[in-house]
Amino acid sequence: MTLRPEGRPEETDMELIDRWKGGDSHAATKLVGRHSQALARFAVSSGERDGIEELVQDTFVRAFASLDSFRGESSLRTWLFTIERRLMLDRRRAERRSRETVPVEESDHVSEYGALDSLIAEEAQERVRLSLDALSPTQREVFTLRVQQGLSYREIAAVVDSTEGAARVHYHNALRTVKEFLKDE
Amino acid sequence: MNECNEREIQAMLPDMLHDALTPAEKSRVEAHVARCEECEEDLEVLRKVKRSTVFTPSIDIDRIVRRIPPYQIITPPIERPIERPLEQPVERPRIASWLAAASLALFAVVGGSMLLVHGDSGEPTTAAIALASGVEELSDGGLVQLMTEMNDFDALPATEPEPVLAVDSTDGFNQD
Repeated sequence: MTLRPEGRPEETDMELIDRWKGGDSHAATKLVGRHSQALARFAVSSGERDGIEELVQDTFVRAFASLDSFRGESSLRTWLFTIERRLMLDRRRAERRSRETVPVEESDHVSEYGALDSLIAEEAQERVRLSLDALSPTQREVFTLRVQQGLSYREIAAVVDSTEGAARVHYHNALRTVKEFLKDE
Repeated sequence: MNECNEREIQAMLPDMLHDALTPAEKSRVEAHVARCEECEEDLEVLRKVKRSTVFTPSIDIDRIVRRIPPYQIITPPIERPIERPLEQPVERPRIASWLAAASLALFAVVGGSMLLVHGDSGEPTTAAIALASGVEELSDGGLVQLMTEMNDFDALPATEPEPVLAVDSTDGFNQD
């Protein structure tokens, strides 16, 4: 259990949810602060390049609007990942549709990712990013949820709407691919 | 490099990075990694991947919180019994009424005829039968019974009614 500086145990997500339902907006601030970076990392790892903050924001807005449907069977973070993943899929579908109708212009290639790239100082990290790009979307989701977020296979299966067995296979294949990629570089 | 078949250890490697193992599991994984080149390499790859997304766009937490709508208790809708439209009374076809009337008339005619036949061989038992068959044909006993029954009538016509040929079950004493 995480302890606060003054020695009291950190409030659980469920306790904060109850406080927010009771009208305490600080509880919402704590929840957002606790999970927003993980959601941003998951979005970047899943291949999102633009509007990461908007995506995280939409995830929280949607989650808080339907908190009554959160039964606590999984962790709040797993549930948030599930919502965020659905939003990412919706985005990609919308982008695909717009690409089919709107011609791609040169300026479209410039994105926030350029700024993000500059933040990745080490070459080794850039290589890892490229190795993740070599994975299929599902492999990348499963692999980053397992390695970067530390989710169990059961939780991953819930997020990506699959089975534990399939998640294990995706993880294993992804690890082999990333390992080979990094070895070849 | 020999291929490692320790699936259980391999599955625990990511948990090692997140301090999600019990002390016993951690010791077991560390002991295995120390002597297994493949798992050592895997663990190093996983460390690199975990470190690779340290840099993510900064998130304005307050801005997100401002967008979150206040909590509203979602009350389930009141369940109301399904209102079914009232059953419309079935309009019986007119012919049914006619059939019913005809059935009654037939029943009365047949019943009356049978009683008349019966009256030939025995004693009539009611005033209607007596009237139908004729007072003259009644025996003394039948006549006494007829008089007894006629005493119970509310009203009697001023004149003695003519015998009827057929008995109407609904209005047995009308001669119209």
